[in-house]
Amino acid sequence: MTATSAPVRPAPQASRTVPLGLARLLRVELRRNAMPLGLPLIALVFWFDSYRIAATMPPLWAERLFYIYGQGHSLIDFAPFVAGVAAWMGSRDGRRGLTDLLTTSVRPRFTAQFATWAATAIWAVSGYLVFMAATLWALSRSITYGAPPYWPLAVGAAGVAAFSAAGFAAGAFFPTRFTAPVAAFGAVLACGMSSQIGFHEGTGWPLILPTNSNNNFGQDAGVFYQFLPDLPMARVMFLAGIAVALVALLGVPVTAGGRRLRRIAAVVSAAGAALAVTGIALATTATVSSYGVVIPALHDAANDRPVPYTPVCANAGIRVCVQPAYRPWLAELSAALRPVAAQLSGLPGSPTRTAQGANLFALRGQPSLRPASGVGQIATISGQPAVLHLPLGAMNLPGAFGLRRADFLDTIKLQTVHAFVVAGRDYGNLAQVAVEAALMKNAGIPLATQATTAWPPSPWGLPFAAASGGGPRSQASYPAPLARAATRFAALPAATRHAWLARHLAALRAGHLTLAQLP
Amino acid sequence: MTAADVHRTAPEAAPPSAGPVPGWLRLAWLYLVSRRAPAAVAVLAGLGATAWASLHWHWDVAGGAAAKQAIPLSIETGAAMVIAVTCYGPFGEPERATGRWLPYLRLGAAVLLTAVAFGVLAAGATGGPPGGGLPYGTLALLRNVTGMTGTGLLAAAILGGALGWAAPLVYLVLAEGALANGATTPWAWAARPPHDLGGALCAGAVFTAGLLATTVRGARESVRD
Repeated sequence: MTATSAPVRPAPQASRTVPLGLARLLRVELRRNAMPLGLPLIALVFWFDSYRIAATMPPLWAERLFYIYGQGHSLIDFAPFVAGVAAWMGSRDGRRGLTDLLTTSVRPRFTAQFATWAATAIWAVSGYLVFMAATLWALSRSITYGAPPYWPLAVGAAGVAAFSAAGFAAGAFFPTRFTAPVAAFGAVLACGMSSQIGFHEGTGWPLILPTNSNNNFGQDAGVFYQFLPDLPMARVMFLAGIAVALVALLGVPVTAGGRRLRRIAAVVSAAGAALAVTGIALATTATVSSYGVVIPALHDAANDRPVPYTPVCANAGIRVCVQPAYRPWLAELSAALRPVAAQLSGLPGSPTRTAQGANLFALRGQPSLRPASGVGQIATISGQPAVLHLPLGAMNLPGAFGLRRADFLDTIKLQTVHAFVVAGRDYGNLAQVAVEAALMKNAGIPLATQATTAWPPSPWGLPFAAASGGGPRSQASYPAPLARAATRFAALPAATRHAWLARHLAALRAGHLTLAQLP
Repeated sequence: MTAADVHRTAPEAAPPSAGPVPGWLRLAWLYLVSRRAPAAVAVLAGLGATAWASLHWHWDVAGGAAAKQAIPLSIETGAAMVIAVTCYGPFGEPERATGRWLPYLRLGAAVLLTAVAFGVLAAGATGGPPGGGLPYGTLALLRNVTGMTGTGLLAAAILGGALGWAAPLVYLVLAEGALANGATTPWAWAARPPHDLGGALCAGAVFTAGLLATTVRGARESVRD
């Protein structure tokens, strides 16, 4: 057989000679990426800083996600590592002196850089989603009511992508060994300053910052009303816009590719920047409503509907009903109310029932909110027969931010006697405080510790103490005349005290009595 | 004009310098250049300026002890991260095979850069108001910088020079958590008072371990880059 007699072999198919496709390039970059090396470190930090603390919070979604989502710690834990590793990947070609070689290759330089960034971002965002899924699952095991919000998860994922884009762009434009640590340090500083701004600025453009703690976590979100998604939507726009703008910026330099590609990259980068600016503009229109931050252009009125529920009740001398999410604290609530209800029973205007009210976002910190409706930040008594409307608030539960069970019980007692004696107004005069102190003493709170334990957690504080820093008024102890009057009143026989209260309650509530007029 | 018309004299060999640089000094300088130490000093100076600015313009994070230390500790972490990435060099095996002075050079460079970091941050700490400055003062700054640098050097030896910066970052988060929780372990030295012996010993031990690891082994070279 000669060469001429050999059968003609078909020509190789065109598809076999096509250069590596973007998908294959991406696969190679996924294999060679440094981000998987960083994920175990991130997991350690995430467990220590986010999950470990959230797991100690009371089992309500608003409470357990306050630290992770509300203060943005899940993003804070990821951002510096992601920015640093992305900067390292972005600077790889430059550090190795391969830039010229890669610029002359058959594929545009931008394609290779995009594949490297995409691989980095895929690892980082996937890691974030996996860690968050595991966290939500672990936290949910002891939560019996409601579901977590998912828009903040999207904010975190977009934030991780944005930090990866920022780090990668920094590495690509400044390819030195120091870019990675400087990018990581920049991310730490950015997150820290963002948190700092968040503590001071509750409105306007700072709301767009993802670790700004002013948002829709806390109060009774996810219990009496839904987590509003308006602000997370704006934050996703902002962060996704930054990610798109920075990645597309890599395609703008002359070395990135052909003229057409560079023009498209410039347009896409500008579109990303416009998206980010739109997010900021939307945040400036935000207002704080009863149920959280509302952005009119993004707001869905359907989210304003309260969550329907059937209350669960117990007996504490009077009937006590709470939202089902608060069932774990119903026994403690009953224990706190029982000694107070026993003292008030039979007096004019004493409550025959207790119903839980919702804690709201608007007018936070005010001494009285909607006293007429009986719903608000402080307990009020209204209706015929009288009902005690008692807001508990997820943030005030035992175990939240170091609050002890005793603090919770004391607060319930104070709220109840305050609603009864001061009739839902704010501070009350000295005679009213003395009667409140006596009632609390007989309900189990020692007089000597009331000023330091029961009053400070209340929204209003002591009337005669100096206000400090916008918080409740507090001081170490009662003034001596008040303490003497309270001790005297508390020491009266129960029947005598009850009879005196029955005769003088109207004058006491109106603020017409002085300390000297107390028995 | 032809080549013959060019009457430029042939370049002569460079004249010997008046006082020849000692060989060991030239070697040290070349080593520092190969580790980008001059650039590291510039970055450290930038961190010193950041420390000055943070104190001058009160970049405080509101909150408790953890929040108050957040910015100073972040800057100290930044310095440790920069020192950690100076550990690896571009020459690899040839350098290790032929450089018998290499361990001394590694040791000297790490100590020198740590001293520079402490110096520039201490200088930056003068930006605060009179009587202000960094929380816990200069002694705590020295302890924190050396300890965190130790974590970076250890990570460079174990994880690789490229990722050495990650360890001080992890330590920052752990220290902040310790501060927030009121932990008293001396391993969280950043949460301890400046004159605390346990914290100083732990920071010193980590720094010594990091120095030993990078001096003897050098930074690990990772193939995944």
